[in-house]
Amino acid sequence: MSTLASVAKRFAYALALIFAVLTVNFVLIHAAPGDPAMVIAGEMGGADQATLDQIRVAYGLDKPIFEQYTTYIGRALSGDLGQSYIYNQPVIKLILQRLPATVLLVITALLTAIVIGTLAGVWASRRPQSLGSGAVTVMSLVGYSMPTFWTGILLVLLFGKVIPILPISGMRDVRIYGGWWVTSLDVLHHLVLPAFTLAIVYMAQYSRLSRASMLEVLSADYIRTARAKGLSEGLVIWKHALRNALMPVVTIAGLQFGNLISGAVLVETVFSWPGLGTLAFESILGRDYPTLLGVLFFSSVLVIAANLMTDFAYRLIDPRLRNR
Amino acid sequence: MTGRNAMPGTGNHAPTVPLLEVDGLSVEFQTRDGVARVLESISFSLARGQTLGVVGESGCGKSMTALALMRLIPQPPGRIVAGQMRFEGIDLLGLSDAAMREVRGNRVSMIFQEPMTSLNPVFNVGEQIAEAVRLHQRLDRRAARERAIEMLEAVGIPAARKRVDDYPHQFSGGMRQRVMIAMALACNPSVLIADEPTTALDVTVQAQIFDLISDLRSRTGTAVILITHDMGAIAEMADRVAVMYAGRIVEEGSTADVLANPLHPYTRGLIACAPGRRTAAHGEPLEEISGTVPSLLERGAGCAFADRCREVMPKCRIGLPAETRLAQGKRRVLCWLHADASVPGAGGAS
Amino acid sequence: MSDTRQSAPSTPVPTAPAGSAATVLSPSKEAWRVFRRNKAAMLGLILLGLVILTMLLGPSLYPVPAFDISGKPFTGPFEVASLPLGSDYLGRDILAGMVVGGRATLAVGLAAAAITVSIGLTVGALAGYFGGWVDELLSRVAEIFQVMPSLLFAMVLMTLFDPSLTTAIIAIGMVTWTSTARLARAEFMRLRKLDYVNAARAMGAGPVRLMVREILPNAAPPLIVSATLIIGVAILFEAGLSYLGLSDPNVMSWGLMIGSNRKYVLDAWWAVTFPGLAIFLTVLAVSLVGDGLNDALNPRLHQR
Repeated sequence: MSTLASVAKRFAYALALIFAVLTVNFVLIHAAPGDPAMVIAGEMGGADQATLDQIRVAYGLDKPIFEQYTTYIGRALSGDLGQSYIYNQPVIKLILQRLPATVLLVITALLTAIVIGTLAGVWASRRPQSLGSGAVTVMSLVGYSMPTFWTGILLVLLFGKVIPILPISGMRDVRIYGGWWVTSLDVLHHLVLPAFTLAIVYMAQYSRLSRASMLEVLSADYIRTARAKGLSEGLVIWKHALRNALMPVVTIAGLQFGNLISGAVLVETVFSWPGLGTLAFESILGRDYPTLLGVLFFSSVLVIAANLMTDFAYRLIDPRLRNR
Repeated sequence: MTGRNAMPGTGNHAPTVPLLEVDGLSVEFQTRDGVARVLESISFSLARGQTLGVVGESGCGKSMTALALMRLIPQPPGRIVAGQMRFEGIDLLGLSDAAMREVRGNRVSMIFQEPMTSLNPVFNVGEQIAEAVRLHQRLDRRAARERAIEMLEAVGIPAARKRVDDYPHQFSGGMRQRVMIAMALACNPSVLIADEPTTALDVTVQAQIFDLISDLRSRTGTAVILITHDMGAIAEMADRVAVMYAGRIVEEGSTADVLANPLHPYTRGLIACAPGRRTAAHGEPLEEISGTVPSLLERGAGCAFADRCREVMPKCRIGLPAETRLAQGKRRVLCWLHADASVPGAGGAS
Repeated sequence: MSDTRQSAPSTPVPTAPAGSAATVLSPSKEAWRVFRRNKAAMLGLILLGLVILTMLLGPSLYPVPAFDISGKPFTGPFEVASLPLGSDYLGRDILAGMVVGGRATLAVGLAAAAITVSIGLTVGALAGYFGGWVDELLSRVAEIFQVMPSLLFAMVLMTLFDPSLTTAIIAIGMVTWTSTARLARAEFMRLRKLDYVNAARAMGAGPVRLMVREILPNAAPPLIVSATLIIGVAILFEAGLSYLGLSDPNVMSWGLMIGSNRKYVLDAWWAVTFPGLAIFLTVLAVSLVGDGLNDALNPRLHQR
């Protein structure tokens, strides 16, 4: 199958997934105990009978379920994810406002985890029985077992009380204003702790994985061939071995985008990072179900997009997967 | 029966300075259950353009010898504990790592047994060949690529210019081995070590690969160390042959001599076992050497072949004789059966 | 002539001769022997034992009700005899909370893990064994669940439905089964092609019997390891949900302690540190045991 056709196939498949997620959302709204209108309005004061009736009409809740379903899908695909009765704005607007912050956080954390995790794993694989390798294993076990929100809170403690050199809350310092460069630096400054906290669990996983993967690759025949050609250790490790050893890491990392977003929810609440996570949290507190469901849906779309990109990245790295 | 494609002026003529000289090489491996002596006092020499065959069963140390020559033995469990290796007069063991890397792939090259896994799957074959050329001959990318195409053509890959950008998985086993050969010969080495190059390939392809090696050898004058357990290949290609058993060379000499008149009981057994030998009449069961190679951990002082030898004598289990040299040192054997035939003054085992 | 070629190492390493003195034990005894020798794994097991012991005996040995106001708020640890680990912003005893909190965490963790493994194993086994359209269908379903971020999905479930422990258990089970399913599918796919399965099939065994009696015992080792690690995941999940205030507010759990005291962390570090430490140590113990099981049940060809 040509590349274009397979790309198109994957896109079509992704769209189908989006449909499926919307369906799940729909099922949830209607399967939850209580009146769907209440769910949509959110159980807050202000949902008087008039508003409820309005909603019933607007969402066609008196119509047969299948028609409701198609209406729902139609609206969602055209960008109408409902209205937040708390913020009094369309849900989609709220989401798009908060989206960049979360994306920034998640991508930074993922890249940090991959880079540091892989480097640590490679380093440990070069000296398999040493203290350093043992330390990496221990630290990765520790990192994996620490609850993300707890790690975040500990860091808040550390940098809030003990060494106040990094901001522990928010994304921007409101007192700082200036050009694009100054603003970016400020955001970066605030990004350090949340991104690091989120990255820890994954750094732990990737360092173990890359260590094991590297050890396995280093015992492969083609590495022996590379050495027999007279290549320096540096070339053998960083050119020949690494690309092969990275593949499991990329696979796993690609599968974990959903987990990353989950983790981001926790981290954002700890650091008051203004992203989708805090939005979800606030919508729970305020019983703003449309927003909550909107966040669920939208983050699923993000995961689907990430899966697509991982798929393509895969093909880039492993030539055996091309032209399939 | 001499090597069919031997170039004139090579082969059994005694050269003035051997291209490669190995003297008393011993290698140990540290295992969980003790120290294993995988090579014991290995000595041989290789002249320019000569082909030396090394035969023996799996585990006898043939591959280990090759790896030792390239200094590719993993040093934590393995260790070269004795001996010398001289290549073109240079002491290989005394070289720094950087200097040894200049030798590898450049002046001494090696191809391995498993073509399916010996090429890096994520780089195309052109890159893998060009890499060696860029490194050792300092060619730029374009020139190196041209050289890669040239080598691919030399080893018989059709449509080389197109295939140079293909990946290993797009080639069959036999073709991959050709690529390996191309890679090994790209820098015009003086010695090519071929470690069981055809064992993992189909029978039909085996012949092609041997022919290829023969052909290239005669065109470039490269000396070859051919490691195999295929006596037929030895007969066809090798000028000289060394027979190894349990880490030692038990017999060595010109191929013609050794095949016609094997001295060591093991050599005799190997020749008799080989299918198609004239000694086994059609329809009769093949000969076999009963028993298995003993563990390298449990070596006593005696001959390692004692338990399987049909002509074993009590003194075989107690110790080994000094190496017997015959025919002006061009024939060697390590066996009590011939221990008295030494030419006086020819010296003992090194 | 034996072929001693191994698939992984490039240089042939001498091995002990066949028939050397090692006695052969049954697989489970052998696994236990390897496990016992693994210090880290044993440490994990001991740690886990301590946690369970505390969970079972703690409330009897230290019968302070966790939700009661036991003293002055913001009392630090080791300051007052009646509040060994201090008190939180309301004056509730931290140690009491920790002793009682383990129950919810562990109960939910174990139960959720059980559900996860049940669903995952069933789905994966069916997909892997039958292949074809069954596999396609189940894999697509799994993918739908995998695309939705698990915590968010669980949050939605806990919000829309009644936030009790049972809901938490079901929610966690529903969002984490996909990884187990993937593993089970791979194992069943690999094992169904092996000869002994064909032999059993030739003797007239039906699919269910084949899956349960022939394949499952051989697929068990990686699945057991996975199940152990899932327990750790479930515990972390429960902690996360109760931290966010989405679990039953009448049941004390470690996550709940951290969540309710989060705002006051700069003034009462002990109120969040100790419960978090408890979660961490429990999950660490489970991970160590899981790792030990992995080494014991899935021996690799060569030691590293």
